[in-house]
Amino acid sequence: MSARDAIFAAIRAARPEADAPATIATQAEACAAAMTKTLPLLENSDLVALFTLRASAEKVGATVERLASLGELPEAVARYASENNLAPELALQPDPALQQLDWSGLQADATLAPDTPLAVGLALCGVAETGSLVFHSAPTAPTLFGFLPLHHIVALDAKSLSPRFEDYAASDIGKLSPRNVNFITGASGTTDIEGVLARGAHGPRKLHIVIYG
Amino acid sequence: MTALAQDFQTRVDKALADGQLKVAIERTTGNARRKRAAAVSAWPEFDAARKAAAAIKDHAITHMAYYLEMFERNAIASGTQVHWARNSDEACAIVVGICKAAGAKTVTRSKSMLGEEIGLPHALAAAGLRRVETDLAEHIIQLADETPSHIIWPAAHHTKEDVALLFAEHHRDKTPTTDIESMVESARRELRDDFFAAEVGISGANYLVAETGAICTITNEGNAELTTTPPRVHIVTAGIEKIVATTEHALQLTRVLVRSATGADLTQYTTFHSGPKRAGDRDGPEQFHIVLVDHGRTKMLVDMPEMLRCLRCGACLNHCVVYRAIGGHAYGAAYPGPMGSVLTPVFDGLKESRDLPHACTLNGQCRQVCPVDIPLPTLLRSWREKSWRKGLEPATTRFALGLWAFAAAHPVLYRLGVAFALPVIRLFARGGWISKMPLAGGWTDARDLPKPPTKSFMAQYFDGKVR
Repeated sequence: MSARDAIFAAIRAARPEADAPATIATQAEACAAAMTKTLPLLENSDLVALFTLRASAEKVGATVERLASLGELPEAVARYASENNLAPELALQPDPALQQLDWSGLQADATLAPDTPLAVGLALCGVAETGSLVFHSAPTAPTLFGFLPLHHIVALDAKSLSPRFEDYAASDIGKLSPRNVNFITGASGTTDIEGVLARGAHGPRKLHIVIYG
Repeated sequence: MTALAQDFQTRVDKALADGQLKVAIERTTGNARRKRAAAVSAWPEFDAARKAAAAIKDHAITHMAYYLEMFERNAIASGTQVHWARNSDEACAIVVGICKAAGAKTVTRSKSMLGEEIGLPHALAAAGLRRVETDLAEHIIQLADETPSHIIWPAAHHTKEDVALLFAEHHRDKTPTTDIESMVESARRELRDDFFAAEVGISGANYLVAETGAICTITNEGNAELTTTPPRVHIVTAGIEKIVATTEHALQLTRVLVRSATGADLTQYTTFHSGPKRAGDRDGPEQFHIVLVDHGRTKMLVDMPEMLRCLRCGACLNHCVVYRAIGGHAYGAAYPGPMGSVLTPVFDGLKESRDLPHACTLNGQCRQVCPVDIPLPTLLRSWREKSWRKGLEPATTRFALGLWAFAAAHPVLYRLGVAFALPVIRLFARGGWISKMPLAGGWTDARDLPKPPTKSFMAQYFDGKVR
């Protein structure tokens, strides 16, 4: 007997399958609903305000800025670079929405490499309850953009915010399964030495979120 | 098999004599307890949430065959190669085989307790592969040539001063520092090149999501994604109990898992991995393999299904008075603390590890903080009972307990014994306390015993002195 068959035989001997798939699906939904009932109320119904509060909380440690439109992003990036003493040079996530912006005055053609000082990206959506950015890997959204730079600036459409994980999972986006779905919540960190939080473990040291729209 | 528990007493004695160890463990677990308490206090119905989380895991376990088949089907549809292993030998052989086929010389690894459980580090070394641990704590213990002492903080037994010495010895940057940020920076520089030189990256999985065929990793540093994205091949090793029905269930469990582990609402990086890179993707592996491991899980499905809920958060370790006194290495197994003492007899055999379920005060803290409400004290007691029934307890213990059982079943005899013993015990008291007494060293070495009254409670009751 193959290892696979032996494992399934042992599982079925211990847990004979009795329920129809539809019944199992109903049970699964009931489990999720029971968990949802226990959740504390979100303290703000304004998703941008809630997201900002959570993402900029000390234990998450991102910085958040609000812009009227995506068109203002290059200006915000230039400001960020100058405030953080970075050269006006960046690696740009290959997303057409970002590439069509007016980057004059900045060098937006740096190649992404380990420890690229600054990279600019676009989140697919955000989850307010934790201040998390969501990325799906795609030709326009390489996974490593979230991990190689030292400073990561991410644009986030205010309209893309969901209150909770459950809302994300139920959305059309939440049903997709690309190579990677990345929930990014604050800059890289570690508590591996004495349980004390230190930033910039292997990923970015700073995460700056620009909410637009 | 992991280091045997036979020398448990020796290791405990050594751990208790090590003052530095106690400092290190208390710094890490103390921080963890404080942060967890703060996170839980912001969720008034956390206790109900623990029960709901238990139900989510139980649902997947009840329908394990159904969901594992669904997972496999969806994973294969996304281009994943799925492998099955009954035991650790099979699992290691599959992983080594994939590495060899990929022509790998260097393998990066992000922390996986299942990897430790099945002895993967040894198997990779035996196959001549260069293994680079990329999680900071795993990096520390790889430099120190040790095993993890905690499932979330594998280097919990090291103070920052220890780590500073290790880094000064092994890192290219020899600048002495005990500043934690600088040490983290040094490790970052040290590991940067290896992430991109490795042909294979190996990770574990926090969940196997049936409805999508994706696996989920939950980390803080960013090393997992740097381990699983640049190499040509990504291998996942995961226990079959990691199965969950849906992405929603996975995210709901993550809420209680992360709060219980580090006190955060979510870790910095919660990532789902599904299949190899897609057409047009600029990064990601060309091959994606998932090795699904039984190693005792199907047996636990019969004997202790509640333990299959375990999310590996480490809260039971942080709150265990025994773990906090002796640290993780004294347990001599891949998993220490309460959850480890339940699991080790499954993996290593009860005969070899019978001491572990005994190393527990049954104070119940572990169950109270468990995010999936595992009845750990009950499971530990069930191992003790099994050990007794199988005759694994030492002859002296069996004799003494037999004697006590006989006396307890004969009240007159029992009272007579107590009446004789009390005056003798009182002879050892000095100033109301007994700090030394023959046959009671196990107790009096660490604490004093109050001087007993002249007569037992029952004798005083019959005298009419108490009612």
